[in-house]
Amino acid sequence: MRITMAHGSGGQATSELIESIFAKHFANPVLSRMDDSGIVPGAGSLAITTDSFVVTPLCFAGGNIGALCVCGTVNDLLMSGAVPKYITCGFILEEGLEISLLEEIVISLADTAREAGVLIVAGDTKVVGGSGGLYINTTGVGFVPDHYPAVSGALCKEGDVILLSGTLGDHHAAILSARMGMTNPIRSDSAPLVQMVKNLMESGIRVHAMRDVTRGGLATILREFAAASDVSLRISEKLVPVDTTVRAFCDLLGLDPLYMGNEGKMIAVVDKEDAQDALRMMRGSTYGENTAIIGTVIKCESHHVFAETKTGGTRILSALHGEGLPRIC
Amino acid sequence: MSVDYRTFLREYDGKPIRIMEVCGTHTRAIAHEGIRGLLSPKISLLSGPGCPVCVTVTQYIDTLITISKVPGTTVVTFGDMIRVPGSTQSLSEARADGAKVEMVYAPYDMIRLAKEHPSEKYVFAAVGFETTAAVYADLLGEIIASEITQITFLTSLKIMPPVLEFVCKTNSVIDGFLAPGHVAVITGSDVFTPLAEKYHLPFAVSGFSGEEILLAIYALVKMITRQEARVMNVYPSVVTPRGNISAQSEVDRYFEKTDAAWRGMGIIAESGLTFRGEYKRYDAGSFGLYEDVGTHLSCQCGLVITGKKSPEDCPLFGRLCVPERPQGACMVSSEGSCCSHYMNRGD
Amino acid sequence: MCVALPGKVIETDGKHAVVDFQGNQVRVRAGLVAIKPGDSVLVHAGCILQVLPSDEAEYMNKLFAELDLL
Repeated sequence: MRITMAHGSGGQATSELIESIFAKHFANPVLSRMDDSGIVPGAGSLAITTDSFVVTPLCFAGGNIGALCVCGTVNDLLMSGAVPKYITCGFILEEGLEISLLEEIVISLADTAREAGVLIVAGDTKVVGGSGGLYINTTGVGFVPDHYPAVSGALCKEGDVILLSGTLGDHHAAILSARMGMTNPIRSDSAPLVQMVKNLMESGIRVHAMRDVTRGGLATILREFAAASDVSLRISEKLVPVDTTVRAFCDLLGLDPLYMGNEGKMIAVVDKEDAQDALRMMRGSTYGENTAIIGTVIKCESHHVFAETKTGGTRILSALHGEGLPRIC
Repeated sequence: MSVDYRTFLREYDGKPIRIMEVCGTHTRAIAHEGIRGLLSPKISLLSGPGCPVCVTVTQYIDTLITISKVPGTTVVTFGDMIRVPGSTQSLSEARADGAKVEMVYAPYDMIRLAKEHPSEKYVFAAVGFETTAAVYADLLGEIIASEITQITFLTSLKIMPPVLEFVCKTNSVIDGFLAPGHVAVITGSDVFTPLAEKYHLPFAVSGFSGEEILLAIYALVKMITRQEARVMNVYPSVVTPRGNISAQSEVDRYFEKTDAAWRGMGIIAESGLTFRGEYKRYDAGSFGLYEDVGTHLSCQCGLVITGKKSPEDCPLFGRLCVPERPQGACMVSSEGSCCSHYMNRGD
Repeated sequence: MCVALPGKVIETDGKHAVVDFQGNQVRVRAGLVAIKPGDSVLVHAGCILQVLPSDEAEYMNKLFAELDLL
């Protein structure tokens, strides 16, 4: 059975769709009231984020758009030092979408929300003409505990140590592999980093900045930190974890893992005295087993990000130009 | 190896040496691995005409764009070609205007496209040096065997020895060449020997990892200081003196040498490959594409490509000419000298 | 213009082959050089250019010896 324009009309078909798919899998006391707004308790420093998910294909090795939209939203809140509590989901469904596929995505979304400890408290469904596509918009809400250290890309200090929670490029490579029909075992790493961030923030470790490594890759974030904090950064490419198959995939297409997106990896910039503790903490957290110390913050006239290459030379990481076209020759 | 070649290269204090590399993949690898910083300031690396996208003249791009706008025809290309500016626009801009342009990873993907869309005509932007010419020759064999008639090629195929000779004749400051390792897989390393002997310059055939490039530079510096003008194969696990004979004869079967226009250098005799004889039926209009109209009056691509100027010497570099708004081909391709310099030196 | 990567031949029918690049399996053309499953090969733009030696160390040793003489 497929989505038709009738499902978007607001009438009987819409109610049935909502009951049988969304309400069924997202059930919680707030949502079940089916009011126009979710009324929820909460006070303090509010963190709000919004994101839209337009990935194709909808399902790929290691995940789907449903799991992705929770991870992306939750991770954005976490990186600001907030504890994620609630999300909303606005679905735009294209006519022709298989309802069984929609349900699979919704179940995945619900499972990931449960893992991340967030409630889905409001939603919307619209249907447009098309050929079976699906887009999701989310808003995420969290609260910043008073006892958490303030984190910001502008707070990196000379001497700070940079940690990366795992291998680069997995998600981007999985999506491209799916689109190109490339046979390999690469899986998206989409994951909610709730436990890792909680461990870091509650440990007393002096965390100065955190960011999840999404579109634009590690290089983009490091450049942003350097500019915001008025420092330079220096990393060693030999220390940056990249899965062997992902590395070969990148070589085949002329892509650079330092500029590729992940959906379940983060960097943390911490005081150098706390570096080993942070490493242990992140390695001991879910999704952090490959955490590595990859570099340091240095003082320099420029805001450059220096990378020591595997040959022992130095290159400066520039901005990502263009859309990262696969290069062949 | 008993010699510490890294220390030798870092501490070299003899006569200043200028080495030219002539392969876009070397240009990129050298920038990407930060090789220049590992060399003594007395050893300079120049970038030569080794990026096939960068040496393609504007008339070729303009012709591709015209073809892409013909109903029922799709232009197929590798990624980098799509952003090279012709005299008025690039293929990517033409695509935004509605022209049909597809990108593939390998020329071989054309066969699948043709079978999936039997009534569509495909024109492949066949750009490259000897390495890729062999791939096109192999593809053509398959196209003929499969009796596919809807694929043709607009070729901008070039070969190295004539342009190397051009550089040797016009640029007297080069002391030695880093020779392209994968071109040599096809041609054999002996192809550089006549040039080494005629111009008394050493050639080191090099692989593409940072370590292999350092070894090849070491070999060159040593040969230069000993005044040895010969070809040394520093990539012996892959390159042989005579190369891949059957690949050479495949190329020879379908292509013949013709004059070709190189951006910034004009026409160099017998430096290109176009379809021969009965195979001209696979050609989409490649012969005689010689016009080269610079997009900006101050564009120095021609001088950069021949190693006469470095990217920083161009008044447009990093100001009017950046990867987002390339004024010339050297900035478009990630293997172009200007783009490589820009991307790895900060902005 | 010469990005070429080493991989291992998984299977071949003479004209085509499936080559494994550290877990990425790609179908490529095999018309330019005679190959068999298990061979290490160099692939450029979807086409096998060369068979690589199974023991590269031997070549490197000879090369280093030659470089030592310079």
